[in-house]
Amino acid sequence: MKRFFLSLILVLSNSIFLFAEEKIEIFPSVPFDQFIVYQNLAIFWVAIIGLIVIIRMKLREFERIQKMGIDKEEKDIPLLD
Amino acid sequence: MFFFILQFITGMVLSMYYIPHLEHAHKSIIEIVTKLNMGWFFRSVHHWGAQLAIIFVFIHVFSTLLLKAYRKPRELTWVTGFMLLTISILFGLSGYLLLWDERAFAAVRVATGGAGNLPLVGGFIKAFLRGGIDVTGETLTRFYAFHVAILPIITILLTVIHLMLVQMQGMSIPVSIEKKQHKTMLFFPNMFYKDLIIWLIMLGIMVSLAVFFPPEIGKKADALAPPPENIKPEWYFLFLFQTLKLFPGEILGLNGETVAIIIISLGILFFFLIPFFDKKSSRGEPSPLFTWIGIIYTLYFVVMTLIGFVT
Repeated sequence: MKRFFLSLILVLSNSIFLFAEEKIEIFPSVPFDQFIVYQNLAIFWVAIIGLIVIIRMKLREFERIQKMGIDKEEKDIPLLD
Repeated sequence: MFFFILQFITGMVLSMYYIPHLEHAHKSIIEIVTKLNMGWFFRSVHHWGAQLAIIFVFIHVFSTLLLKAYRKPRELTWVTGFMLLTISILFGLSGYLLLWDERAFAAVRVATGGAGNLPLVGGFIKAFLRGGIDVTGETLTRFYAFHVAILPIITILLTVIHLMLVQMQGMSIPVSIEKKQHKTMLFFPNMFYKDLIIWLIMLGIMVSLAVFFPPEIGKKADALAPPPENIKPEWYFLFLFQTLKLFPGEILGLNGETVAIIIISLGILFFFLIPFFDKKSSRGEPSPLFTWIGIIYTLYFVVMTLIGFVT
């Protein structure tokens, strides 16, 4: 009897999935593909941070030159013949 | 601007595979997401790019309002900016229907039906948007035309005018610090490099959102099926949705929804014409009344959107 009830519960619980809505996969479902996506995202962020560091260094260089006033071309500069 | 460029790129990729037909639209999106290499990513980036673009256009408009950057001689810049906000929302609405799932279908039915409540022109606007009496395959074709042809052309034209005006008139300085000595900054290289850093961070955030929260696809739209439960419009329509809820069904013998739509339209029209009403700011004098009007508009939008989101 106990076995009968257990098997009945199992059948009923499985039948629930028959009525469940088919879910559309909007993201790769294979674990390896998921790993590749997350790995690429991490590399992407590393590249972004690297670019930001380079841009900031460049920006500081511009500001330093502008502060010194040597970013503009001098007027009446002597020309070499 | 950066998000608009990204939207153009991802949109072009998606349009190569999307089929704007009643029978195939929903299926073609499922195929883009499930069968195409990186298809899910392009769709997700397009979705999140749209959300972020609209968020930033709203922030830009409200900061312009609060800092009174609309004042003379920048009225036309405000007008073009406001038009760009409207177009961004229309982009969102037209793009939402292209999915052709039950939620999008119901949301567009409500939005176009709401526009139909406007007196005199309402019926025409509703018929023009729907291409018929109800939301059908005609509406889908029409919205596709709006989304990929009409709106992008208008956006490019308005963006060019907006940027040209900004270049010609320069950046606006708030009234409170206009007369004080302030540091000026060169557009190139200083401003450009600072913008580049923000663009990179935004790109990272957008890609992360696209990876962690790809947008769902619901069941295919069915005109005869009842609308899904707890249906809500997109977040940028929530403040309108909540405002409509405040009005009773009938006011002084008139249809409550029509009255609400008229009041909302007048409120938006006043918002659009603020630069022409705020004379004090035009003369460079402080105008606390319009500061308060700006704060009320901003708070109303934020609070109503939050209430709509939570309830």
